[in-house]
Amino acid sequence: MSFETVIRSIFSAFFIASVIRISTPIILPAMGGLVANQAGVSNMALEGIMNVGAFTGVIVSAFTGNVWLALLAGIIAGVLVASLLALFHLRFSTNLTLAGLAINLFCSGITVFLLFTLTGDKGNSASLASLVVPNINIPIIKDIPFLGQVLSGHPLFTYLAFALVIVVYIFLYRTRFGTHLRAVGENPEAATTLGINVTLTRYVALAISGVLAALGGMSLSMAYLQFFQSEMAAGRGWIGIAAVWLGNRKPLGVLLAALLFGLADAVANQLGSLKVPSQLVQMIPYITTVAALVVYAIQQKRNVIERIKKYQRENPEGTPAEAVAKK
Amino acid sequence: MKKFLESKGFRELLRIVLAIAIGLTLGFIITLFVSKEPLEAYKTLLIGPLTQLNRIGDWLEQSITLILVGLAITIVFTGSLWYIGVEGQLILGALASGVVALYLPVPPFWRILIAFLAGMLAGFLWAVVPALLKAYLNVNELVASLMLNTVALKLFEFFLKNYIMPVNARSVSSDLISPQYLLTSFIPNWPFLSGIRNLWIQQTSVTYIVYIEIAAVIIVFYLLYKTPFGYELRTMGSNIKFANYGGVNIKRTMILAMTISGIFAGLAGVHLTLAIHDKLIMGMSAGLGFEGIIVSILAANNPLGVPLAGLLYGYLKTGADIMERTTDVSRELVSIIQALVMLLVTAERLLPAIQRRIEEKREENNKPNKKGESNVI
Repeated sequence: MSFETVIRSIFSAFFIASVIRISTPIILPAMGGLVANQAGVSNMALEGIMNVGAFTGVIVSAFTGNVWLALLAGIIAGVLVASLLALFHLRFSTNLTLAGLAINLFCSGITVFLLFTLTGDKGNSASLASLVVPNINIPIIKDIPFLGQVLSGHPLFTYLAFALVIVVYIFLYRTRFGTHLRAVGENPEAATTLGINVTLTRYVALAISGVLAALGGMSLSMAYLQFFQSEMAAGRGWIGIAAVWLGNRKPLGVLLAALLFGLADAVANQLGSLKVPSQLVQMIPYITTVAALVVYAIQQKRNVIERIKKYQRENPEGTPAEAVAKK
Repeated sequence: MKKFLESKGFRELLRIVLAIAIGLTLGFIITLFVSKEPLEAYKTLLIGPLTQLNRIGDWLEQSITLILVGLAITIVFTGSLWYIGVEGQLILGALASGVVALYLPVPPFWRILIAFLAGMLAGFLWAVVPALLKAYLNVNELVASLMLNTVALKLFEFFLKNYIMPVNARSVSSDLISPQYLLTSFIPNWPFLSGIRNLWIQQTSVTYIVYIEIAAVIIVFYLLYKTPFGYELRTMGSNIKFANYGGVNIKRTMILAMTISGIFAGLAGVHLTLAIHDKLIMGMSAGLGFEGIIVSILAANNPLGVPLAGLLYGYLKTGADIMERTTDVSRELVSIIQALVMLLVTAERLLPAIQRRIEEKREENNKPNKKGESNVI
C-alpha cells in the first residue's frame, strides 16, 4: 500500500469510526481515573482492574451464557479490586502508588493463574466459547452515507463510554455528592469541617472508578476482541491516568485526551499496512503519551509562572513580608 | 540482645517475616481450591529448589538478576522517585551487551569488558530522558517510565527481528554467543577445585558476576549512606520541600538517582545475555522490572537487605517453576503471594508492630521541646 492510500484512508469514514472504537477502552478507564482524581486519590490500579474486568466478563459469559450477567460480574470484580485499593490506602495508610503497583501485580497474577486453572492455557481464553456484547445500529442515522458509517454500528461499550462522559460531568458538577467529592479532593480538611466524611467519599470515588475501569476492560475482551489475553489492558490503564492530567481534570478535556490517544493508536494501525517496521509503528501510542505528559507539564509550569506574575502585578510591593522589609 | 529486640530494624524484620507467613498461608489456601494434590504442590514450591544441584543453580541465577534489579529500584525508591523503567533499561542493557558479544571484533577479554560497559551504559542512557523530564518539567516519572518500557521492548524486538536474527532461525532469537565471549564459572579455575567446578559448570550457569554483584551491593550501600549524594537523596525521599529549603540540589539528585539506578538494571541485562540465555531472545525480560519493586520492598529499601530479599524471592520463583512443571498448579501463584506480601508490608497501619512505632514517633515529637528550650538558652 502506498503512502498516498494511507493518507487517504485516514480521512475516510472508516478511519474516524475506528478512532472512536479504539478510543473506547481508553475513555472508560480515563473517566474512572477522573472521578478518583477529583476526590484526591489517583487510582493507580486502573490497569489491574481493567485486566480483572476483562477476565471476569469473558469467564462468566462463557460459563453462564449470559452477556448481561457477565457484565454485572465484571463490574462487581472491578469494584472489589478498587475496594482492595481503597481499604489498603484509606484504612491501612498504604502509599497509594505502592498499593496500586501491588494490586496491579496481583491482578495480572491472578488472571493468568485462574486462566491456566480453567483452560490449561496461559496466553488467551480462545478455547472458551465466550460471548460478545452486541453492536448497535442506530435506526435512522445508519442510513445517512458518511455519518452512518462513523456513528452507527459500534459496540454497546462505545455508546456507553460517551454517555458516561456526560453522566460523569453531571455527577461531578450537578449533584450534591459530586460537589462533596470535589471538595474532598480540593481540600480534605475544609470538607471535614463541613461534615463531609472524607474517607467514605474517597471510598465511593474509588469504587466508581473501579466500575468504569472494569467496563473498559470488558470492552477489550467482549467487543474489541472476542477473548481474554494475559495483560490485555497493555498499558491502557496508565494511558487513562495520563489522559486525566492532559485533559486538565475536566470530563470534556479528558474525553478529548482519550480520543487523542485513540487517534495515535488508530494511526499506528493504519501505518501497519505500510512497509514501516511494525515495532516502530507500535511505539506511536506510547510515545504520544509521553509527549502528552510533557505538554501537560509545560502547561502546568506556565500556569504557575503566570500566577506569580499576576500576583506581582497586583501587589507591586511584593509579598507582605517583602513589603515590610522594604519599609 | 534486649536492645536488638526493641530496635526499629528488628521490628521491620518481624513485620516482613509476618507478612511473608501470611502471604504463604493465603497461597496455600488458594492451592487447596485449585489443586488435586495441594500438599504435594506446596511441598514442591517450598523445598523443591533444594532437591537438585541444577535447581540450586536456577535459584542462584534468578536471585542474581533479582538482586540487581532490586538494587536499581532501591536507589530510586530511596528518593521517593517512582521511576520503574527497570525493565526497559534491562532489555536495552541486554541488547547492547549482546550486540558487543556477538559482533565486536576484539579479543575475548576486551569483548566481555566492553559488553559489560555497553550494557551498563545502555541502562544509564535510557533513564536520561525521563530523568531530565522529571527534574526540569516535573513530568510524572511513573507513567513516563512505564510507557518508555514498552518503547524499549519494541526497540529490542525491532533490532532483534530486523538485524540480529539469522534468516533461518527457528525462534525469535540471535545466534548463540560463542563460549569464549561468555562469562565463566564463579569457582576459580584452580586444580584442587576442578572437580566441584566441573560439576557446577555442567549443571548451572552461576558466573563470576556473583562477585561483581557483591561489590554492587556494597557500592550502593556506600552510595546511599556514606556519600553526600546519598544523604541528599534520602533527605529528598523523606521530604522534598525540606530538602529544597535545606539546599539540596533537587534536579541533580533526581537525575543522578535515576541514571545510576539504570547502571544496575543494565548490569542485570548483561547477566541475562552473557550468563543465562547465552543469546538475545524475545521475552527475556518478562516482568523483571516489577519484581525488582517487590525485592526492594521486602528489603525495606535497604541495600544490605536486598541480597536476602532477592535470594528469598528467587527461591520462591524457582520453587514455582518446579511446581508448575511437576504439579497442576501454575507458577503465577507466586505472583499472587508476592503481591499480597507487598501489600501487607507496605500497609503501615496493618501489622501491630508499626503501631508501636507510630507511638514511638509521637513520643519523639514530644521530646524535642526540651531540646528546643536548651538550644534557646
